[in-house]
Amino acid sequence: MLDISNAPDGTTDAMIRLTGVTKHYEGSDAPAVAPLTMDIRRGEFVCLVGPSGCGKTTTLRMINRLVEPTAGQIWIDGQDVTHSDPDQLRRHIGYVIQQVGLIPHMSIGQNVGIVPSMLGWDRKRISARVDELLELVGLDPSVYRSRYPKQLSGGQQQRVGVARALAADPPVMLMDEPFGAIDPITRERLQAEFLQLQERIRKTIVFVTHDVDEALRLGDRIAIFAEGSRLAQFDTPLEILTNPADDFVRTFIGEGAALRRLSLLRVGDLPASVDSGEPVDLTVGADETVAGVLEKMLMAGAERVHVAGGATLTVQDMLLATALPKHPALR
Amino acid sequence: MSNTVTSLRTAGTANRDKDRSGWVLPVIAATLAVGTLGYIGTASLDSIEARALTTDVLLERLFEHVSLVVVSTVVVIAIGVPAGILLSRPGARYLRPPALALANAGQAIPSIGILVLLALVYGVGFRMAVVALVVYALLPILRNTIVGLQQVSPFVIDAARGMGMSARRILFTVELPLAVPVMLAGIRVSLILNVGVATLATYTNAGGLGDLIERGIVFNRMPILMAGCLLTIALALIVDWLAGLTERRLRPKGI
Repeated sequence: MLDISNAPDGTTDAMIRLTGVTKHYEGSDAPAVAPLTMDIRRGEFVCLVGPSGCGKTTTLRMINRLVEPTAGQIWIDGQDVTHSDPDQLRRHIGYVIQQVGLIPHMSIGQNVGIVPSMLGWDRKRISARVDELLELVGLDPSVYRSRYPKQLSGGQQQRVGVARALAADPPVMLMDEPFGAIDPITRERLQAEFLQLQERIRKTIVFVTHDVDEALRLGDRIAIFAEGSRLAQFDTPLEILTNPADDFVRTFIGEGAALRRLSLLRVGDLPASVDSGEPVDLTVGADETVAGVLEKMLMAGAERVHVAGGATLTVQDMLLATALPKHPALR
Repeated sequence: MSNTVTSLRTAGTANRDKDRSGWVLPVIAATLAVGTLGYIGTASLDSIEARALTTDVLLERLFEHVSLVVVSTVVVIAIGVPAGILLSRPGARYLRPPALALANAGQAIPSIGILVLLALVYGVGFRMAVVALVVYALLPILRNTIVGLQQVSPFVIDAARGMGMSARRILFTVELPLAVPVMLAGIRVSLILNVGVATLATYTNAGGLGDLIERGIVFNRMPILMAGCLLTIALALIVDWLAGLTERRLRPKGI
């Protein structure tokens, strides 16, 4: 079984803490990453998003020290790793990149088993782990274990990339646009599957993307970087859509913020309207999103919906309650 | 998925075609060798020709030639591969162009010039011939080692680093296996060059099939000259064929 000891237990201690982390390349005036301080909580899925050149990838690569910070400190799980042995450090941090980077002359099974074998696991344990992981990412081990990377499609290769990063069950995963080079349909499926996977494994994930929609869909919190590696806003998707910190964030998230919020808000959080006692056409769970419920109502031609556990809502109630500027009830 | 299967099948077909055409070189080589020996056996040879073309003499010349090629190639690999690895490291970025220029010069200088110079300074013999061959054949192996290592995808290396592989482990388990096909191609070129250039070793008294050629010219005896030429060609073809077989066998799976 996967170790789920990293599940959030209500504590807010930082799994990854960056304090004043800076990267300055020689011969360039502006820093690639200006002093950056941020806390990423245990089990949290954080997306770093921003235009190219904003330092998001450099920030990610400083966490496992593929890029050495010029100044500042990096803490992982309460330990200062700024000066620890980088190879040892990286064996305990999952790393997934857009180009996947499977080793072409090694079979899929060997690729997934790389980190466990460096950690000195015995052969039996590695083999069992490889099968478990391939199954976890939806690849039949008996079919894929002995294949070579070039025999797999791009989407399948990235599944292996994710499995390989999870191999030694690291508490932290760093992902650099992992789904960026995959066709849109497969990408959406991989995103959905990865969210489900994260529900189970609860890793602390730092995920770089330039795609706002991807960030809004996946992240528990989103860090929006502006040019010059300024951290413009670091908050939940809902908060970013509702209260963009500044014009840069507003422009960056683009149009459709109001509609996008509908898929982030849950009907259970909406204020109950006065129950008129009229018949209810549909009953939904409090956990369902406003967008999902609206969809159901449109499909069923329903005017009223009953939310399990209390309120009855009309279409109008729902739209008013979710309208921008924000409704007091949403605070 | 079906795409993958088709591409695998075509790749397989290409390989099989190569395998099927693999008999051409050895057959030509064998025909040349047998033809030469048959001609020597049946032709009426005068005393000079007969003395130069006994089986013992031919075998000895062949053995000398093969020794020259094998020893010089082993030395070239021993020098060229480690040097190529060192020059491919990021730290050696500035050394690479002058080193390649030097190896280039080695190949540009006519071997006969090096041979004669070495013979003048250090005297004649097998060792001098080997030195000349090494200087001449260094470039392909050195260059192909560097190129082979440089063409490894930087993303594969990045992923390997990101997993916590040390630079040394990456070199031996990722970079070198992936560079093997290109390196082997360089070794094959060096081998073939050496078979040809080793005919000049006769001028530094190191024997080889060049002896027959030179003798044929000096004594104006066509059969001796022909035997030397044809056996050299046959040897080159066989060496190329064997190198090709080895190349295919040592190519890592999956690439």
